[in-house]
Amino acid sequence: MRNENVYTVSYINSFIKNMFQQEPLLNNLTVKGEVSNCKYHTSGHIYFTLKDASGAISCVMFKGNRMTGLKFQMKEGQSVLVSGTIDTYERDGKYQLYARKIELDGEGALYEKFEKLKKELEERGLFAPEYKQPVPKYIKTLGVVTASTGAAVRDIINISTRRNPYVQIILYPAIVQGDMAADSIVNGIRVLEEAGVDTMIVGRGGGSIEDLWAFNEEKVAEAIFNCSVPIISAVGHETDTTIADYVADLRAPTPSAAAELAVFDVSLFLQDIRTYQNILYRRMSGELEKVKTRALNDKRLLDHLSPEARIRDKRMRAAQCSDKLERLMLDLIKGEKHRLDVDIERLKALSPLDKLHSGFSYVSGSDGKNIRSISQVKEKDSITIYVSDGAIKATADSVESRKYGKES
Amino acid sequence: MAKKAEEKELTIEEAFAKVDEKIKALEEEEVTLEESFKFFEEGMELLKYCNESIDKVEKKVQKIMQDGQTEDFE
Repeated sequence: MRNENVYTVSYINSFIKNMFQQEPLLNNLTVKGEVSNCKYHTSGHIYFTLKDASGAISCVMFKGNRMTGLKFQMKEGQSVLVSGTIDTYERDGKYQLYARKIELDGEGALYEKFEKLKKELEERGLFAPEYKQPVPKYIKTLGVVTASTGAAVRDIINISTRRNPYVQIILYPAIVQGDMAADSIVNGIRVLEEAGVDTMIVGRGGGSIEDLWAFNEEKVAEAIFNCSVPIISAVGHETDTTIADYVADLRAPTPSAAAELAVFDVSLFLQDIRTYQNILYRRMSGELEKVKTRALNDKRLLDHLSPEARIRDKRMRAAQCSDKLERLMLDLIKGEKHRLDVDIERLKALSPLDKLHSGFSYVSGSDGKNIRSISQVKEKDSITIYVSDGAIKATADSVESRKYGKES
Repeated sequence: MAKKAEEKELTIEEAFAKVDEKIKALEEEEVTLEESFKFFEEGMELLKYCNESIDKVEKKVQKIMQDGQTEDFE
């Protein structure tokens, strides 16, 4: 006997979907399992299956969630924690886990442990800036606590010796990952402190949070805090921050950077010395120049004020005065002479002889007086006419009046 | 991080700081010639000290063991 109710596939799928969506647990949960069949699709979505010993579930992470929800490259066999929603896929009548966030299993727990210890140590003052020792700029001995193989130790040695081959590097070959790592690092710090190094680099190259875990251990933090030698931490890459980084006197983003911070560049140092020498020389010669200039000025001033200079000065003024007097005198004489010449000329012009020479005559009557008018002469009077070279005795024939121009 | 006991010997940093002081003193307007000679000499002396503080012998990287014994690394 068949059941009365017959449903379509779509209807029942939709009905189940609705059931899933009504269940709060399925809308926000975290599932732990091992990754298999992981496919990074060209669309940007990631399809994978999460499985454990007895079961499996299809999972998908959409492209839009990858930026915020997935911080590592997912690989087959990884144990992960997937957070998201379980929903049905009606086309296939399947349910699957829609992942919002995928974390490596263990990471979350470690992260919590990290945060807890960080908070505790911070409260105890292990990160306080007032306890930070300044890292000396010029060191002679550098201690290094790290693995004796691998990139970290190479980088530190290469960069240190390139910057300054005269710095003694002492390496404590430490175990930097695994159960024995923390004790080994603590020992390294103690041994190098006793050896009396000037600065210490404590660190290792990059790795997963588990690999770096020793640097998040309380005993390592305490050893760094209690060490009398300044410590530069250099754990992993720039983005990895460990407890050791917080407690260290200085944090370097990488082992290479730590070497740069710890070891001064000897060529720059020698250059600094030369620069300082030059400055000192310049200042000193400037000072001397100043004194010299002052001495020279003083000498000039003294010279100017000396009796010799005064005599010279007076002599010069005397000479100037005498010059002036002489010139004035000459001018005076010249002026007088000129006046004399002028007078001579004037006198010359007034001389009667001169007039006779130029053809005029002087006429006098019998009484010897100069005849200036017809009234002084009658007919038959004797007159004498003087010319330039002698006198002519003459008798006036007639006397007649004449007008010459204007009557004066 | 515990503070180390103060060292008596002048560090290179301190020596450089002192050189800076000498240079500053030399720049003073009021400095006498005698004083400037003194500052100059002291400055040069300090630079000599800095230069000589650096042991100019290339070092081999040493490996130190737990008991404090060292040996050449590599």
